[in-house]
Amino acid sequence: MLKTGVVQVIARGTDVAFVIDEKASFDVVAAELREYLSTQGSLWSKGDITINVGQRMLAREELTEIKSIIETRSGLTVTRFWFSPDSLDSGDLKIEAKSVETTPAASPAKTPAPPPAHNEIVLPETVLETAPVTMEEPAGETAAESVSAVESIIESLKAKHNKNGTRNRNITEALFIKSTFRSGESLSHHGDVVVLADVNPGAEIRADGDIVVLGSLKGWVHAGAAGDNKAVIIALNLPSTRFQIGKYLGVAPASAKRKSNSSTSGPMIAYVRSRSIHVAPFAGRFARYNKGVPYDG
Amino acid sequence: MTGKTIVITSGKGGVGKTTATANIGTGLAMRGHKVVVVDTDIGLRNLDVIMGLENRIVYDLVNVIEGDCKLNQAMISDKHDYELFLIPAAQTRDKNSISPEQLREMCAELEKEFDYVLIDCPAGIEQGFKNATAAAQEAIIVTTPEVSAIRDADRVIGLLESSGLHRPKLIINRIAAEMVKRGDMMDQKDVESLLAVEVIGLVPADEHTVVAANRGIPVVHNPKSAAGGAFLRIAARVDGEDVPLMDLEPKTGLFSKFKGMVGMSGRAYSHA
Repeated sequence: MLKTGVVQVIARGTDVAFVIDEKASFDVVAAELREYLSTQGSLWSKGDITINVGQRMLAREELTEIKSIIETRSGLTVTRFWFSPDSLDSGDLKIEAKSVETTPAASPAKTPAPPPAHNEIVLPETVLETAPVTMEEPAGETAAESVSAVESIIESLKAKHNKNGTRNRNITEALFIKSTFRSGESLSHHGDVVVLADVNPGAEIRADGDIVVLGSLKGWVHAGAAGDNKAVIIALNLPSTRFQIGKYLGVAPASAKRKSNSSTSGPMIAYVRSRSIHVAPFAGRFARYNKGVPYDG
Repeated sequence: MTGKTIVITSGKGGVGKTTATANIGTGLAMRGHKVVVVDTDIGLRNLDVIMGLENRIVYDLVNVIEGDCKLNQAMISDKHDYELFLIPAAQTRDKNSISPEQLREMCAELEKEFDYVLIDCPAGIEQGFKNATAAAQEAIIVTTPEVSAIRDADRVIGLLESSGLHRPKLIINRIAAEMVKRGDMMDQKDVESLLAVEVIGLVPADEHTVVAANRGIPVVHNPKSAAGGAFLRIAARVDGEDVPLMDLEPKTGLFSKFKGMVGMSGRAYSHA
């Protein structure tokens, strides 16, 4: 294991990871990366690598710069950028701590680089699934591949920053609605929405993040409207029989409708589990919910 | 003298806006105030009918707005011995004949002379609603304990709040105490928790309301009737007096049961 200040290079078997201190500014990271590669770059004579930017928010220019630093100072080719949207939830602290991870291919010239064995989390296909945003058409042939990779990482980060709210820097703040949200009113927000009153029938709320209603939720809401299926809906009272999380539509089963009419329910949480929306009594945002009622009609 | 303009609205038609306007206006006049009621339901006027003044109409609201007559020429004095006036709506025109700004100007003029300017709003949330609400400083929502009326009231409260008319007051009209007791009708608490606004009056379903409307004498002239008393109390509350809401306990006995049934059947004939 080599150490050069903010940049650490960790070798695991045949895979090698560049780990950079997440708190370091981009300029420091770039300088360290340059310094490291100028002395050690000859070690990496040939091969394709992918780069996991972890939890860090990076601009397109910054991604391009990392790519050029690595490619000009070593024989490596950056084939794509990616991030680990699930790393926070996976409990893998090592990955959470990483901000830039490069994994040089053990043997040179496999195109594209296979996913490293130790890191099964997310690759662009999955990234696109969690972030259903249109990618720009690649302009050229091989050169365009990395450009579209850059596009995809930017789009993924956008979706991610909506999801992992407070953990990112450029997060859209939660919106607080302090009066009853009434019939005919509608709202779209790129972040979480908190209503400190009721959401009445005929009202509509779309949030890219979670929706929390400190009152009775009787209107139509869509959490994770940008495609985040991990968003949740929490309400002190959930008589609403139709709502949406990500791409899933929840429809209360007939039994739940009867239940809500008898007004016995307390705080409820709606979440996506195995491709359908479930509703369970609320027991904390990060509790494990196993006994939810499926809301699929 | 600087008066107050209050719009009486509901969203849904047929819940008793016009009846409430006539009765609250009369009630306030009976309390010694100088009151003008303005019918903005252009094309479907009926406040004049409820107040029994239809035969006296010469000029109307649109005439005033268009400058065909002076403001006081269009004001019809009430039959009774109060300082109560009506500005009727035009029957042959439509809601687009006036604009919110014009009505605002007219009400500002009226506020100089009157204690209360009550605006009877048409049903719906279109131009007529926009006209009627633009001039008001306060709003009273009329609803009945029915889901459709409550849904519309909810929508209207939202629209009023977004146009700056905060904290509207609510009148729940045509409550049938017997049905509430049986659990067949929403009670005050149900409606209050649904709409989350202050309730300023509960009006029981009462045959007297219909009879009075048909005769052109608002029911508030008969304070002994259940609805008349309710409207008089609402007028007092509008006037700033602290009158507790009455309990709509059904009277026991065969006679009141019969009355309740008559009152309910009478609802079908009530005016908007």
